[in-house]
Amino acid sequence: MKEILPEVEAWREAGEKVVVATVVATRRSAPRPVGTSLAVSESGKMYGSVSGGCVESDVYSNAMEVMQTGQPKLLHYGITDDQAWEVGLPCGGEIDVFVEAVE
Amino acid sequence: MTLVARLRELLESGDRAVLFTVVEGEGLGSKVLVIEGGDTVGEGVPAAALEQFDELVRRGRNGIVQADGAKVFAEWYGPPPRLLVYGAVDTAEALAQAAKLLGWTAIVADARATFLTPERIPSADQLIAKWPEDAIVEVAPDHQTAIVVLTHDDKFDEPALIAALDTEAFYIGALGSRRNQERRRERLLEAGVTEEQLARISGPCGLDIGADTQAETALSILGEILAVRAQRPGGPLREAKQRIHAEVA
Repeated sequence: MKEILPEVEAWREAGEKVVVATVVATRRSAPRPVGTSLAVSESGKMYGSVSGGCVESDVYSNAMEVMQTGQPKLLHYGITDDQAWEVGLPCGGEIDVFVEAVE
Repeated sequence: MTLVARLRELLESGDRAVLFTVVEGEGLGSKVLVIEGGDTVGEGVPAAALEQFDELVRRGRNGIVQADGAKVFAEWYGPPPRLLVYGAVDTAEALAQAAKLLGWTAIVADARATFLTPERIPSADQLIAKWPEDAIVEVAPDHQTAIVVLTHDDKFDEPALIAALDTEAFYIGALGSRRNQERRRERLLEAGVTEEQLARISGPCGLDIGADTQAETALSILGEILAVRAQRPGGPLREAKQRIHAEVA
């Protein structure tokens, strides 16, 4: 969460709700190191990343849900499964992403 | 004060801390911030996780801690690695610039105050106009500090290297031609430095990437520093057998 703190603070000061998604675990090849975060604001602004762009859109919709419910969630992404149209990581890695509202 | 504001303060102060967050199990979403030698803020994180604070701070790495059936994410806060360059030559500015790009703290020292000016070395966070021994004592290099010595002058380079060897610095590099390295080696041995200590010195420092300009040389040296830090050989990834992304302490 370190690298996104200035933006999170600025958005909060501007009166927006903010949700942060953080890579908390990786297995095998993963695009971003553990601790990397993506911040999403109530108005839809995004800053940072949790992958090379492979799962951001799914994380974004989960972030918007957490924005509403206030209930944190742990998401898991694995290898892309073309048959199931799942969101995944083509690089063959797996990541766990924790999504939470910022107080 | 909000937690975010508090974390921002930590980034500025460089104080060591760990932010614990329960990401699975009882107390989901609970957070506790533990600051080294200071406050503990928040509640709801199992004590078994918090007890690992010392080890987490020492390792300086983010990760999951298992505690009482809960999964707790530990995010580490602490000062960035430091690069100390002894010798206010052109390459020092290029090295300081490259280190700043990595988010590191760049310190440049030289006894010759006329060379050591903010105009010549604008990218350094700190300039120290002292003799090698005193400059290194002031910086107090730890296991998160890299030292590069590049005055090209034995009367500075040798004491700087001897003082550097007396620290926990994870990298010690020296510029200079192969012939100069050999001569320096003899002189350091005469000065009482052991073969084992000499093995810690990367000289000539840098990776073999055909660096020519100051910026290229800086990149070559920083490349070697990163490789040493991650305990990687520094060659092409297509020839590497390990996983691509390193876990650096």
